[in-house]
Amino acid sequence: MFRLPIDSESFPLGKGPMVMLILFLISTLFIFGRSEQEGENLEFWIFANTHYEEYQARVPIFEAQNPGINVQLINFGGTMHDKLLAAMLSNFGAPDLVEVEITSIGRFLKGAIDEVGFVDLRPRLESEGWMEKLVVSRFTPWSYRGKIFGIPHDLHPVVLLYRDDLFKAAGVEMTEVETWDDFIAAGKKATRDLDGDGRIDQYAIVLDRRTESDYFSLLLQQGGGFFDEAGNVIIDSELAIETLEFFTALFNEHQIATPVYGTWHGDPSNFAAMQDGKILSILAPDWYVGILKSQVPQMSGKWKAVSMPAWYPGGRRTTTRGGTMIGITKQSKNPDLAWEVLKFTYFDRPGLVNRYETTRIIPPLKSAWDAPIFKEPDVYLGGQRLGELFIEMAPNMPPRYQNPYWSEGADLLNDAIFAAVTEKQTPREALTDLAGKVRALIAKDRGRWGDL
Amino acid sequence: MKKKRTTNVFWNQQQKIAPYLFIAPFYLLFVIFMGYPLISSLVMSLYEMRGFQSRIFVGIGNFTDLFRDPIFWKSLRNTAYFAVGTLTLQLPIALLLAILLNSKFVKGKNFLRLAFFAPVLVAGVFVAIIFNLVYDQRAGLVNQEFVLFGKEIGWLNEEKYVMPAVILTGVWQWAGFNMIYFLAGLQGIRQELYEAAAVDGANWWQAFIHVTLPSLRPVIAFVFVVSMIGSLQLFDLPFILTNGGEPADAGSTIVMYLYKNGFQFMRLGYAATIGWVLFFIIAVISIVQLKLLGIFRDE
Repeated sequence: MFRLPIDSESFPLGKGPMVMLILFLISTLFIFGRSEQEGENLEFWIFANTHYEEYQARVPIFEAQNPGINVQLINFGGTMHDKLLAAMLSNFGAPDLVEVEITSIGRFLKGAIDEVGFVDLRPRLESEGWMEKLVVSRFTPWSYRGKIFGIPHDLHPVVLLYRDDLFKAAGVEMTEVETWDDFIAAGKKATRDLDGDGRIDQYAIVLDRRTESDYFSLLLQQGGGFFDEAGNVIIDSELAIETLEFFTALFNEHQIATPVYGTWHGDPSNFAAMQDGKILSILAPDWYVGILKSQVPQMSGKWKAVSMPAWYPGGRRTTTRGGTMIGITKQSKNPDLAWEVLKFTYFDRPGLVNRYETTRIIPPLKSAWDAPIFKEPDVYLGGQRLGELFIEMAPNMPPRYQNPYWSEGADLLNDAIFAAVTEKQTPREALTDLAGKVRALIAKDRGRWGDL
Repeated sequence: MKKKRTTNVFWNQQQKIAPYLFIAPFYLLFVIFMGYPLISSLVMSLYEMRGFQSRIFVGIGNFTDLFRDPIFWKSLRNTAYFAVGTLTLQLPIALLLAILLNSKFVKGKNFLRLAFFAPVLVAGVFVAIIFNLVYDQRAGLVNQEFVLFGKEIGWLNEEKYVMPAVILTGVWQWAGFNMIYFLAGLQGIRQELYEAAAVDGANWWQAFIHVTLPSLRPVIAFVFVVSMIGSLQLFDLPFILTNGGEPADAGSTIVMYLYKNGFQFMRLGYAATIGWVLFFIIAVISIVQLKLLGIFRDE
């Protein structure tokens, strides 16, 4: 019979340590002894649950079409960006493919352009003719210094969702509203104290004064931004100041806007206020309609959508908010294969139709727009053809230029907007201060590094 | 039974080195996960990162920048506000609960102890999500009472209410935990001391002041210092509750600002500097507290 050369009695310090050592050895073997799947393996990191569910359904089709290729999908949720940052800093452990959210991409663009951790996709896009097939303005959030580090997952055009019944009850036909001046006039009629207790019971619009989301959407609609294409700070431009003056006036002078209930537009508190009839309209990107449908299904049939009011007659009737890109990291051992998976998940028509079906997200691939699903009436919006409206808006979407200092800038912009709306500073003071701080930050870094 | 002795030389050697091998994992892990990062972060605080690959030596530049940074000072004020609010509210409540649950007149003590302790078992993130609903402006539990007086308080939307909301949440979560320490302390006080006080004519209050509190001094000092350190390291609760410190950084804390600089702004050197400044603040406050509470005093 086989016997171990030692027994628990003779093992130093007795039985307990021996058991611990054996367990340690077994777990070590288990951890390091796992064999890789045969064939080519690819890792794909995701942060959004809805995207993950979509790829879980789609990736097996790709694997079936390409035997020997294994795509491992990993959904890290909200912590994914931090994990990616750590992997890029340590130059180890990054996936082949990764999706990045629009407000997070800036931090990955810090430093010399050649040190950015994503592969420049421009050569592939141009050589394969994809640039013409996609909405070009949608590349700007993922581009910097002429390089394209990601493919847009979405467009996220914005429309105005409104309560047709309540606006009509106030004598307003929202389809006749063309400009923001029209909206203010309509809003003054619709913003009302219904029970005569001196408190307003319904507001024409809900806007977020805690963060840049609504203000920045309006600024983009105007053709402005935080940074221009060359990376200059333009948040203190006359256009930006006028837009913030308009934004604050909706709260203070015209008193037709209510601050968002809770911490953002998707807060349960905000949905409760909507159901109470306290909120009559909201600036809604395509993804927000998907959230509304899933979170407040009982409001089906109560909302309608219309193009955003323009800043002047004939002006742009939409803007953009939010977004995600997919990129190939420089740590990928097989960027060609990653590119094939990317194309399958982002440019494949059946997948994009499925995406709209589940999330209401309009894809940036123009050839997908003629799919019948985009023309179907939307029951939630009382039979309105929402897909058509979004697609009509898509070609007019404003560009949003990306910059490595966006994260710092956005954090300070939140404070500036709040200070202006709560009248602690005038819009001019708030934005001038903000621009000064961001310029000083950039100048300090340039002083240390030279040109960035 | 006589222990079997091995004649194997190899195993004799093992007997000598085995203790070192068994304690080696701790030291190894400490060096890898504590020692190296500590030294590395100290070095990092003297540099600033440029992207992912390069860095530049800036000396004490990060420290001088930090002391001129208004958001750092605001975060420090908020953190101090939380620490003072927590200590002045939470510790007396925890002590009161402990005294009540140590009393022979209270029924269902085991259940109540568990009930008050239970909140600490809930992860901070979930506490924040729950209290987001509790502070809900329209339908939240708190405003259900206040709204009767004609005001919907925007607990998480108005600057002046943000930190009080965070403090109250912290009290809910941690008072029961500290209660356990006080309870253990109370149960360790010898009954004879109360009997002697009673013989001397002391009433309940005098017994509390002259017997209970002095006997609890080590426990109070421990809870005070640990709660202070925890307060100064506050992060997850306000981060989730206030959506990253908004509005206007009213909910920003030092650790939140550290996180933002390190992970959102990619300013790792600056973030390391904040970490070291926080370390010195905690060290100084802890030493002062222990000194004032007489922990270093010879009995």
